Amino acid sequence: MKAKRLVKLFAVIFAIALTAAACGGGDSTATSTSECGSDLAVAKGDSVTDLSVALVAPSAKDDVAFTQSMVDSLTRLGIEPQITDGTFVVEEAAAAIRGYAEDGVNIIIAHGTQYGGSLAEIAPDFPETSFIWGTASDNQGLDNVFAYFPEADQGGYVNGVIAASLSDNIGLVGPVEAGDAVAYIEGFIKGAEANGASTSAVYTGSFSDVALATTTAQAHADNGVGVLTGTSQSAVGAVNVATANDIPWFGTQSNTEAWSSDLTVASQVYHWDVVLADMITKIESGTLGGEAMALTLENGGLVMEFNGCYDLSADAKSAAEAAIADIIAGEIATK
Amino acid sequence: MENAPLLQMPLLEMHGITKSFPGVLANDNVSFDVHAGEVHTLLGENGAGKSTLMKILFGLYKPDSGEIRLRGEVASITSPTSAIEQRVGMVHQHFMLVPTLTVAENVALGLPSNRGFRTDLDAVSERITEISDQYGLAVDPGIEIWKLSVGERQRVEIIKALYRDAELLVLDEPTAVLTPQEVDDLFVILRQMTADGTGIIFISHKLHEVLELSDRITVLRNGKVTGDTTPAETDRQQLAEMMVGREVKLAPDKPHVDLGLARLQLRSVSVKGDRGTIAVDDVSLDVHAGEIVGIAGVSGNGQRELAETIAGLRPAEAGSSVMIDDIDLTKANPAQSRAAGLSYVPEERMKDGAVGEFDITENLLLIDHGDAKFRKGPLFDFAKIREHSQRLVDQFSVKTPSLDTPTSSLSGGNIQKLIMARELDSRPSVILAAQPTRGVDIGAAEYIHSQLIEQRSIGVAIVMISEDLDEILGLADRIAVMFEGRIVDVVDRSVATREALGLAMAGG
Amino acid sequence: MSQFFTVSVLLATLATAIRFAVPYLLAALGETIGQRSGVLNLGVDGIMLLGGFGAYYTVLETQSHLAGIGVGIAVGLFMGIVYAYVTVFLHAEQGISGIGIFLFGLGFSDLLFQELVGTPKPIKPLPTLDKLPGVGGIFEPLIDIPVVGELLFDHNLLTYFALLLVPFVTWLLMKTTFGMNVRAVGENPQAADSLGVSVAKTRFIAILIGSSLAGLAGATLSLQLAIFQHNLTNGLGFIAVALVYFGAWQPRWVLAGALLYGLVTATRIRWQSLDIIPQSASDIAAMAPAIITILALVLLASRVRGPAALTKPFSRH
Repeated sequence: MKAKRLVKLFAVIFAIALTAAACGGGDSTATSTSECGSDLAVAKGDSVTDLSVALVAPSAKDDVAFTQSMVDSLTRLGIEPQITDGTFVVEEAAAAIRGYAEDGVNIIIAHGTQYGGSLAEIAPDFPETSFIWGTASDNQGLDNVFAYFPEADQGGYVNGVIAASLSDNIGLVGPVEAGDAVAYIEGFIKGAEANGASTSAVYTGSFSDVALATTTAQAHADNGVGVLTGTSQSAVGAVNVATANDIPWFGTQSNTEAWSSDLTVASQVYHWDVVLADMITKIESGTLGGEAMALTLENGGLVMEFNGCYDLSADAKSAAEAAIADIIAGEIATK
Repeated sequence: MENAPLLQMPLLEMHGITKSFPGVLANDNVSFDVHAGEVHTLLGENGAGKSTLMKILFGLYKPDSGEIRLRGEVASITSPTSAIEQRVGMVHQHFMLVPTLTVAENVALGLPSNRGFRTDLDAVSERITEISDQYGLAVDPGIEIWKLSVGERQRVEIIKALYRDAELLVLDEPTAVLTPQEVDDLFVILRQMTADGTGIIFISHKLHEVLELSDRITVLRNGKVTGDTTPAETDRQQLAEMMVGREVKLAPDKPHVDLGLARLQLRSVSVKGDRGTIAVDDVSLDVHAGEIVGIAGVSGNGQRELAETIAGLRPAEAGSSVMIDDIDLTKANPAQSRAAGLSYVPEERMKDGAVGEFDITENLLLIDHGDAKFRKGPLFDFAKIREHSQRLVDQFSVKTPSLDTPTSSLSGGNIQKLIMARELDSRPSVILAAQPTRGVDIGAAEYIHSQLIEQRSIGVAIVMISEDLDEILGLADRIAVMFEGRIVDVVDRSVATREALGLAMAGG
Repeated sequence: MSQFFTVSVLLATLATAIRFAVPYLLAALGETIGQRSGVLNLGVDGIMLLGGFGAYYTVLETQSHLAGIGVGIAVGLFMGIVYAYVTVFLHAEQGISGIGIFLFGLGFSDLLFQELVGTPKPIKPLPTLDKLPGVGGIFEPLIDIPVVGELLFDHNLLTYFALLLVPFVTWLLMKTTFGMNVRAVGENPQAADSLGVSVAKTRFIAILIGSSLAGLAGATLSLQLAIFQHNLTNGLGFIAVALVYFGAWQPRWVLAGALLYGLVTATRIRWQSLDIIPQSASDIAAMAPAIITILALVLLASRVRGPAALTKPFSRH
């Protein structure tokens, strides 16, 4: 029994190492550079667990943003979860979560802050089941709930540093002032302004309104910004504007090269697998929850992915590397 | 002149028309004809078969047997459109006009345009003006219908038919909504049309109008022709009996009652209408025990608002005073008015008087449901309640299959009797009855009238609002005429004449 | 603040407002015709999503905008047939049927998108006048006209089509026999029926025109944005329905509402991007377009009541 767990632990560590290696080329685990023109598909890792896993997520599983980043992370861990995606409606998500629990699924990932209330109701009814919930910075005091959250301001800061090297006028397209979106936008602003760029951030008020995101990006473009960034699934509209106006773009959550292969400079990518692997190890050893874990540059949960197709100056890149090192060392406050 | 056209072939012949619906023989071997240049009246109670016969004429129903001939030829009328094409027109009781469209647009609707896809309203307006001039149907073709008075709207309906070259025109209860003066104007127009050779089917239940206008009269009862006569050969009494099938008291006997004290006192009552403008303007009126005061007037002159204020449903303006038996009800709610002895029979009986989906018992209990005599502890005593309902239904001869029948499935007359039963059972000191017999058949109307007279003789003060001058003249002891929110005239029945009242109703 | 009032920013804002308003305008004009005939279609948003996806996918596959627009209209037409059949011939309750159409459109467009496309892929943007293949050269000098050139001529053809549709719909409703029939059946279907106007046929055609325009509106949205995404409309179709009400069922007021909505939205975004509206007020600013548009139309548009027979199924008794 113990031997088996040990094997699994090795497998997890191996998987993480593999992931890091696959991302390859970077000087640290916190960065990677894609090969230009390469397929962005995530390679499936070796399975780290025999436990059954289910995922409930608000947007589509290939949204090039929040939900896809989780699916990709699970893929890296060799896990093929049962998926209920597109559950913007919390009631539907709650029904799905409860359904999976009743079906005896061991680990249920509720990938949406808005599911917290439902989870507080459901989790106590299924003490044998482990729930993984995020993004959230506390587990609501529930023993069988793990919470996770990205320190999105860290990657935002790094993106901001690079962006400032490209332009001194930067436009940001935010969705709603909440969660990792606001952390990313504010970290970005800090990083950019610390390096002498001026920024303008507009929150559209919607995670999904592509037309508003487009209009906002267009307004920034008309104002003459030299860099655009944005977050949420609606950001696809802003990326289009960036492409049409030949403005460099910075991504977050997932690698946005899928949207804009030429103009995406770098993306902060969430590697939930780092904390998931940690959690799964704990679950297998009998701890079903009771903790919140952060994705950081330090633990490899946040990875800065540079676009091999974008010709970024060595100076800019080394500035980014320096910023990452400083953040990890705690010498730069990104919040 | 009058006999000449009759010698020719009839414009319309309906021979042996029979039409049955499940459980009802709506038309039983009815024959009916109209000649060019005559007014042939179709008289009968609700449900006598008049509208079935007219729907057959307009192709909305197919008769089980019988045939229709137009100008001597067997006619196949399959729809209102085909009736129009065969030059048969109809003026519906509820006008078939589109309020937001202009007169010309309403007239042109459904007809091909000279200009194809585009409308050609100038040409239509020109033709309308010609027709208006010919018959004195003055109306502006460019004006929207909603800006027109009821009388003008009716003219548009007639123009619509004439524009389509109608030779035969059906007028369904055309005088129901008109002032006496407008009725006179209408009759002038109709006579001119008959003089030009139009045949007219006139549907009405106002007997004096029927006698005034008709060349011939056919009476229907229970789907059968029960009378075929001319004004010269008959009178109101006989027509009414042909309609009802038994002896009828058109003018109820009113025993002498000594007038008591004023039970309902209105002093300077002013009320705002739905639009916020003054609808009732400084009305003062006393109604005494043992007296029926009739409030005459064309609807929309403040009667409804006045009634609602008396019933506690609509607030009066400052300075007004409403009293029943010296209890000040100016600011009362409906419950307080009822407690003071008011019974209210509202104008819109299905909207304000009864709940359609409720059964008979429930509607009879609407007011008294809190009464201790219908309760067993906190619960209803259903045995008592049914007993109470049965007694009222019997006493007021409400015709209903059972006490559990939804009220909306009863006839208008029976619903009205049901409401009267409920209202009079509370032993009121003042009865306020608005349009108590509108849309009610003669038999039920007669019964309702007799009940009001009985209440009068036991000392109840009664206010009866009615647009029907026959009803007012038949029942009231005094008559108040309302025009534009004011009481413009109060006369004793003994000196009232139809003409003088009609003039007052029109503000003259 | 001063930065906003530079001519170029003002003009760019106006141009954005117009572009933004076009899908609203198309959908609302279509809905105006339908509602004038007495049929409320709450499914506009769903039809837009399906039309928008159809157009997007067609362009993705064929590179032809014309084909995409055609597919968008065709999808709208088809959904219109479904909706008209259910409401006109089966006398279904319009509110619920419309919600059904919306939910179907929302779900089915997403399903098709996930199955056929998956990750949003940009398509080539709609060409503005000067970039039209073949004839673009004619318009190029026009765009260089100082001040108004870009405002008036730097749009795609659908924008001009939508604007021309305003007088056309007014003409259709007010000056043609079809329009007269539409108004009549929306106001008093019994009267129209008594004169031989087919209520069913008139409403059927009105719904088809309306839903075709909704399909076109969806196509315009996805082609203008050059992308498709789950719930791309984000409730746009419902705002279009509201614009019809607040525009008092008159095309010119519907246009005013759509432009105002677009203008307030564009201005709000501009002001935020120029920090004229502080970050702290962004939530309130996000509500501004809806509130200002509704208030303005309530105050300005003549308060005509709606078609009397709106939402009422018609059948002869």
